[in-house]
Amino acid sequence: MVAARRPGSTFMASAVLAAFVVLTACGGGSTTPTNHVLVIDKSFDMKTADPQREFEVSGGIVAKALYSTLLTFKGSDSATPVPLVASSYTASSDAKTFTFKLRTDIKFSDGTPLTSADVAFSFNRLINIKGNPSFLLSGITVSAPDASTVVLTSSTPNPAIPFIIPNPALGIVNSKVVKAHGGTDQPGADKSDTAEAFLNTTSEGSGPYTLKSFSTTTEVDLTANPSYFGSQPFYNTVVIRNIQAPTQLIDIQKGTNEVAIDLSSDQAASLSGNTSLQVKASPGPNVFFLLANDNPKISKTTPNQHFQNAIRYSLDYASYVQLAGAGAIQTPGVVPSMFLGALTPADNAKFDLTKAKAELAASGISNPTVNLGFPSDFTLNGISFSTLAQKVQANLQAAGITVNLTGSPISTALADYRAGTEQLGLWLWGPDYPDPNDYLVFLPGQLVGLRAGWAAGSDPSLEALGVQASSSTNNTARGQLFQQIQRQLNTDGPFFPLIQPGQVVVATKGVTGADYNPTWTIDPAGVGG
Amino acid sequence: MIQPASAARHDLKPGWRLPLPSRPFVRFLARRLAALILLGVGITFVAFVLTELLPGDPAAANLGQRAIADPAAVQAFREHYGLDKPLPVQYVVYLQHLVQGDLGQSEQSHRSVRADLSEYVPATAELAVTSILIAYALGITLGMISAVRRNKLTDQVLRVVSLGGISMPTFWLALVALYVFFFKLGWVPGSGRLDPGILAPPHVTGLFTVDALLSGQFDVMTNAFQHLILPACVLAAYNVGLLTRFTRSAVLEVINNDYVQAARAKGLPERTVIMRHVLRAALPPIITVGGLAFANVMTGTVLVESIFAWPGIGQYAFHSATTLDLPAIMGVSLFVAVVYIVVNFTVDILYGIVDPRIRVA
Repeated sequence: MVAARRPGSTFMASAVLAAFVVLTACGGGSTTPTNHVLVIDKSFDMKTADPQREFEVSGGIVAKALYSTLLTFKGSDSATPVPLVASSYTASSDAKTFTFKLRTDIKFSDGTPLTSADVAFSFNRLINIKGNPSFLLSGITVSAPDASTVVLTSSTPNPAIPFIIPNPALGIVNSKVVKAHGGTDQPGADKSDTAEAFLNTTSEGSGPYTLKSFSTTTEVDLTANPSYFGSQPFYNTVVIRNIQAPTQLIDIQKGTNEVAIDLSSDQAASLSGNTSLQVKASPGPNVFFLLANDNPKISKTTPNQHFQNAIRYSLDYASYVQLAGAGAIQTPGVVPSMFLGALTPADNAKFDLTKAKAELAASGISNPTVNLGFPSDFTLNGISFSTLAQKVQANLQAAGITVNLTGSPISTALADYRAGTEQLGLWLWGPDYPDPNDYLVFLPGQLVGLRAGWAAGSDPSLEALGVQASSSTNNTARGQLFQQIQRQLNTDGPFFPLIQPGQVVVATKGVTGADYNPTWTIDPAGVGG
Repeated sequence: MIQPASAARHDLKPGWRLPLPSRPFVRFLARRLAALILLGVGITFVAFVLTELLPGDPAAANLGQRAIADPAAVQAFREHYGLDKPLPVQYVVYLQHLVQGDLGQSEQSHRSVRADLSEYVPATAELAVTSILIAYALGITLGMISAVRRNKLTDQVLRVVSLGGISMPTFWLALVALYVFFFKLGWVPGSGRLDPGILAPPHVTGLFTVDALLSGQFDVMTNAFQHLILPACVLAAYNVGLLTRFTRSAVLEVINNDYVQAARAKGLPERTVIMRHVLRAALPPIITVGGLAFANVMTGTVLVESIFAWPGIGQYAFHSATTLDLPAIMGVSLFVAVVYIVVNFTVDILYGIVDPRIRVA
């Protein structure tokens, strides 16, 4: 028999629910982690824990902790590669052959000794998977003449190799175990390699941590690797959580995490005076720039050299730095300030509205109107591209150039940018590896050059300088060549470097070593207490 | 002794008979299932066509700045996700796989969409169900109080409060709630489904509170519930306001009807009159609104999920859309369709339960 509901049951139910909520809430509060748990808040772009497939910021933090590389950098430095799994390395005078001698005392987390076969497997797997990081070893062949020697041979001179090798995507995996779980380093690995799912559950590396749990959306838990060949990390457990910046700001003040990575300069500024936190704001490695298309089929106006000069002088660079906030600087060239070959502030472009108007008059173009493409939904380091684009529009308007803002969501804006069909474009270049060779893409006929309609042969002297710089084995000479290239780019090229936004890392007081490194962002094993 | 079915039916009070399955009911069910299938196919078709019409390129959205310039990497990506085939072929292949329960592989997570949905849907469901329970309990109660005390101070206050619940932007409310109740007062934990370092309970339903209970991990269950409270309350705010206003309106429409006056004249206590005679008659429109509110919560939690770091279907849908992750977009679209159809179906059934005049049988 079904009874009719008792009168007042709704009131009762709500009262019980409310009481439950209130009681539980009052008894709430988070479980405090132990002293040896490091909690890092990061807005995830995580896709995988497979080192040979990851090339995202979050994935780099995880891979750095799980897998060792032949070479590495110390702390925030990215100018001097130092041995890690390799005990030493030599480069041939033509910068085509690099020979690495391996340490013989390194074991994977399961106790298996690490040999050159594992290095060769990892590198060839990276190449043949044809994934996002595969370009790092483009044109390079890997050989292992004996158990403790690895030789990388490049088809062209490549002095950047020692700067590429520390990338976590070149982390060395236990080849036997990975092969047993579907991994392969053979040609065709893009179709036949099936080890990713396994590597998302178990780490097969020799890094300071092992993988405890992995989620691309929630958190990644790491635990110290007792077999690690280096010093044991201070924190025996690391939790990397997927938290958005506004929530990171609240969490770090509450003390539920030790490190917050994604705070903008403005958010970091709101923490000034908080004695329980340490805020580090320094110029980041991303370079925001404006481009004017050199292809007359895209625009009759933008290829005009005087018109480009008018743009160069009409940009109020100081206001962009001010907009970007703490840590940001004006970038004098496309190579960021912390890399070899960077220009100095003395080379900064200068805002001069009078000159801008004079150049516009010299261009012979009256009342020019151009379209500016940009990713309207994209924000990096707390800086919205939409806001920047409005500033560009206002600056150019003051010089007499009308700009139509034609921003679109990044998934569609990227297509126009990469197709080289934007008249003006507002974009950024983030380093793939910390070497100026990564910035040769701005030259005519190269990746970004073509996006600005700058075809090969457009500037033979500059292109010759690029060839010379890319093959030089002397770092001092390379640095000077890259400076020369950028000065020429700043006068003749269709690019207008704007800013390097500040990179903010906030840590609780007492935490040490939470240093930003452009290659892997944060090294959990380097963080102490 | 087992009673025959007919005898059992005679024991039911006339107004509260169960809607036992009958041929019309079966036909109704069949129609709904057929609609579900047709709608599912239609949605997949529309999603496919719309995605193709977009000017973006999934390879460009998913490959890095270097890989996109490498024809081999682009080709490998297209082949892996079947994007190298003509759109009609892609669609037919998708439907073939769909029939076998294979929703494809996400370009973002590199996992099967089915695995993704099985992780994200329970997370959102746990939040949505808790939120809607709070909304129902508070909204209906406050709406009734407001109606009973029409135009008095209580009513005026509740109307203003309910208007506030509807008007306040959810993301703003979420940040304020997080700041006040987590940061300042420390009554509830902050973001995420669990505290850092606490591992999720063994997966059974995907609902952490339930799974922790099933595995006997009571500390994890408590922690999961504590994490649930704040986002669920924030998510409930809008629906509390909505249901309060609808309940008030629906109750006012029937509160002075003749049969209600007759009930009062018979000397029934006011509480009984309200609960038995007024509320029941006012329920159908409330059920309709409540059903839609639940569907909206299940499919529209992206802002709350983002602020509370809640790994639910809202965030998944957002990332899928911004990266043109077609298999994931299709999976989410199908999920949304199923939610709305199931909710509408449930609402229809509930109509039959609360109002015999519109029962199908």
